[in-house]
Amino acid sequence: MRSVSRHLFLYLIGVILIGSITVLHFATEANAATIEQTSQNNIQQQGLPNVTSAEPIVSNDTCLGCHGQPGLTMTLLNGEILGLYVNPDVYSASIHGKDGYACVQCHTNLGEYPHPLFTATNLRDATLRLTNLCDRCHSGEYNLTMDSVHYDKLAIGIKEAAVCTDCHGSHDVRQWIDPKTLEILPEARLSIPATCSKCHNAIYQKYRTSVHGAALTDEANSDVPTCIDCHGVHNIGNPTTAEFRLKSPELCAGCHTNPTLMDKYGISTNVLNTYVADFHGTTVTLFQKQSPDAQTNKPVCYDCHSVHDISRVDDPKTGIDMQQNLLVRCKVCHPDATSNFPSAWMSHYIPSPDHYSLVYYVNLFYKFFIPAVLGFMLAMVGLDVGHTAYVKTRRGKHHLQPTSTEVQPETELESSTLPPASAGSGDQPAQPENIEIKLARGEQSELNKPPEQSDQAENKEQPQKDDQSENPDEQVTRE
Amino acid sequence: MTNQHPPSSTSPDHPVRLVRTFPRFSVSQRSEHAVFLLCIAILLLTGLPQKFNTSTWSQAIISSPARLNLFQQIHHITALVLSALVLYHLGKAIYLIARRKLPGDMLPTFQDVKDAWNMLLYLIFIKKQKPAFGKFNFEQKVTYWFLFFSVGIMIVSGFIMWFPDVVTRLLPGGVIPGAIMAHSTEAIVTTIFVILWHFYHVHLERLNLSIFSGWLNEEDMHSYHSLEYDQLIHKANTDQDPGEIKS
Repeated sequence: MRSVSRHLFLYLIGVILIGSITVLHFATEANAATIEQTSQNNIQQQGLPNVTSAEPIVSNDTCLGCHGQPGLTMTLLNGEILGLYVNPDVYSASIHGKDGYACVQCHTNLGEYPHPLFTATNLRDATLRLTNLCDRCHSGEYNLTMDSVHYDKLAIGIKEAAVCTDCHGSHDVRQWIDPKTLEILPEARLSIPATCSKCHNAIYQKYRTSVHGAALTDEANSDVPTCIDCHGVHNIGNPTTAEFRLKSPELCAGCHTNPTLMDKYGISTNVLNTYVADFHGTTVTLFQKQSPDAQTNKPVCYDCHSVHDISRVDDPKTGIDMQQNLLVRCKVCHPDATSNFPSAWMSHYIPSPDHYSLVYYVNLFYKFFIPAVLGFMLAMVGLDVGHTAYVKTRRGKHHLQPTSTEVQPETELESSTLPPASAGSGDQPAQPENIEIKLARGEQSELNKPPEQSDQAENKEQPQKDDQSENPDEQVTRE
Repeated sequence: MTNQHPPSSTSPDHPVRLVRTFPRFSVSQRSEHAVFLLCIAILLLTGLPQKFNTSTWSQAIISSPARLNLFQQIHHITALVLSALVLYHLGKAIYLIARRKLPGDMLPTFQDVKDAWNMLLYLIFIKKQKPAFGKFNFEQKVTYWFLFFSVGIMIVSGFIMWFPDVVTRLLPGGVIPGAIMAHSTEAIVTTIFVILWHFYHVHLERLNLSIFSGWLNEEDMHSYHSLEYDQLIHKANTDQDPGEIKS
């Protein structure tokens, strides 16, 4: 009896060992498979979370055994009914289904039956809880949404703010990115406005009739911007901030300065630089660089072209190519504007003889006037400098002696020919009424010497000048 | 005889030199120049950062809408002061013309063209003698008339920019961008002109502070305004009135 039990014990140990080895082997194989799948998946993500090796992967068929039956629901705490049915066809058509992801790779806590208790107060609460599951694989995008205006609203308790599944769906998540180019697929672009319209329907209706929206919806043109091209995708910012406003011209310029895109439709790519060159755009650009959160009433693109209901500029009803249509926009800030006023804005034209010829000719005038003035002045000043320098150096060479001697006869003259100033005003040479007499004392006269000398030297350069007789009049020196 | 330096303090030990000074600018003209100088300086200091708004130095100055607003307000107030000054200047000229009292010294004549030509010949050593100038030589006339028209353009275009909605009631809208173009470009021309032409002639060529002091000494009078000097001396010599000298 004892030997039998000992044999049984050894046998059991062997079975457990073999069993655990096989289990471990399969578990590692499964891990390898998931890693392969991740690398095939081009969405740049961290590797899929390690499906705990202790728990074997529950196949989707197991889940669908119950959840594949229509009508499976659960009642939430507030009495709302949460549908638990998953259409197997819808799931297998989704990007996750195509790539062969298992239900429990998202619903990690539901691998066992009975499932742990799920206590959501209402349907929205259930969505908000379940949307956290996306973070496990798509944490990059998930983190971006934390910076979005949607998350800001969520954080202050507005539960309706969009989360992942509101836009992407849950079991029917579609492929939106081209795995090769990592760009949004053209057909996915077409459905973006409709996605946003689930909440923002009023804006969608405006967009729908705009030049962009109509092309997207009616012509399936994927060149035109959808909501996300201006508002961003996951980190959608608040478009009512001053920062967004100041940055908005750059948004529009993203496409409207792209020649490959604009040439297809014959649209000018000069719209940004002509805007920036004009005073409105200049100020907006300046503020955007220097104080991006500054409030300004200076118009940005959408103040004239509208925000969502942007129409063609040559649209007869709303196009701002028509001055009377533009005047309406002008009057928002310039209430006194009259019919001539809109043409004060150069309508993105670069001044030419045909458009804004006055500006063109003013500019042309200065193109010639500035060099002419500058040239004339530089020539005269330069020649004057040169002449003075030449005269000074020549004088320095030839007249070092004479300058000192020249003072001599003058002082003689002063002392001999001219009576002292104290001799009485009547004896002095007559002074005209508007000539003033300034008597400088010794020190001052010393200060005044150098200019006199240079002056006299200059006079020597010009022998024709008959200033020899005048010179003595200039100073009257006395002891 | 506005500027007298009586020899009351002279003592026999100190040699005293008699320097004749000639009145050149009246108090009104001197204060006009001072106000004009201040206005132009403020307008350029507040205007040029707005023109060169893409440069980093300008963006460091105009860093916020509040700062820009301040700059524009200073610019506008100074522009009003300058406009008032111009009106005063023109009003005075009209008053003097009406009374047949306007001294025509500043009016450009054909002689100025000849003077400029002769000066050029003198500077390139073809002529040995500088042309003789009257009260205002051609260089000073160029300065005055250049600034006269610059300021005219600046004031007109400035007010067009300031009140676009009023202007466009009478004139086509294209006047506004034209005025903006003229205003900012003319400012550059004026700046270059003042620095290169005016500063050279009053600071570097010789330090001429007569616009501040009001008088010019005899040496400068003689060498730069010999015609006027001769005229004054001649006039003084012809109608001799010894009692006039009060020294």
